[in-house]
Amino acid sequence: MLALIYFIILGVIAVGSALCVLLSKHPLYGALSLVVSMLSLAGIYGLLGSPFIGVVQIMVYAGAIIMLLTFVIMVLNAGRDSKTPRFDKVSLFVIPAAIVLAGLVGFVMVRSGIAFDATTLRGSVKLTSETLFNTAQEGPGYFVLFEVIGLLLLSSMGAAVLMAKKRLGTDNEEEK
Amino acid sequence: MEMELQAMYVQILALVIFAIGIIVAVSRRNVFFVLMGVELALNAVNLSFVGFAKTLPADLSIAGQIVPLFTIAVAAAEACVGLAMVIMIFRNRESVDSNDFSNLKG
Repeated sequence: MLALIYFIILGVIAVGSALCVLLSKHPLYGALSLVVSMLSLAGIYGLLGSPFIGVVQIMVYAGAIIMLLTFVIMVLNAGRDSKTPRFDKVSLFVIPAAIVLAGLVGFVMVRSGIAFDATTLRGSVKLTSETLFNTAQEGPGYFVLFEVIGLLLLSSMGAAVLMAKKRLGTDNEEEK
Repeated sequence: MEMELQAMYVQILALVIFAIGIIVAVSRRNVFFVLMGVELALNAVNLSFVGFAKTLPADLSIAGQIVPLFTIAVAAAEACVGLAMVIMIFRNRESVDSNDFSNLKG
């Protein structure tokens, strides 16, 4: 019963701040609403029994990704571009289409009848790390994916630096 | 019947947030909101993963709690490259309206 009350409170905060992202005028307010949404989703992860994912959600999503987004919004000073309208005529078709699609999927899902399993494991740090770095031959092999993710992050960082640096270099040459 | 937290409620919350994320990504014109909508949709997928993992018995429930970690890392890479592209296009066009970015107008 108590879990349901916490879930409803956190879910209402998450959906409300997601709607704030949809309706806010300035991208900075949108980013701040997104942080609130991420934090309440982290609370729901903890409630469901996956505290490690909740912590990673707070650290990486709310702490790093949205921080980067906020930083870029401030650097580009996109606030002066307040003439960009929020929606255009295409939105008149997109919004009802997405709502109808979500309604259909929800209708099918409600009739499927899934339930929590009592023997499910709690995703604590110990269990998660033991599974993730299980290098035994008959193990799940997540550590290979972990290495690949490292390569992906390195290459995306290199790509971002190259893309942003080139333009900065030409700017300096023009000033000279 | 006693009111308890059902697995279905988690999936419905994930569905609502996913729908809002898709609407933000497709219908908003400011390019920052497009990126934020993609992040919202990815978050909803993570929530759905964890919610479904909790419906599986003992050892099977671990996989659904590992995959969101990889999704979060991929989202970090996506935000990194996406924001670099936004910076580059903004320097060229002096605009954050996604309609100004379309060179392939039919």
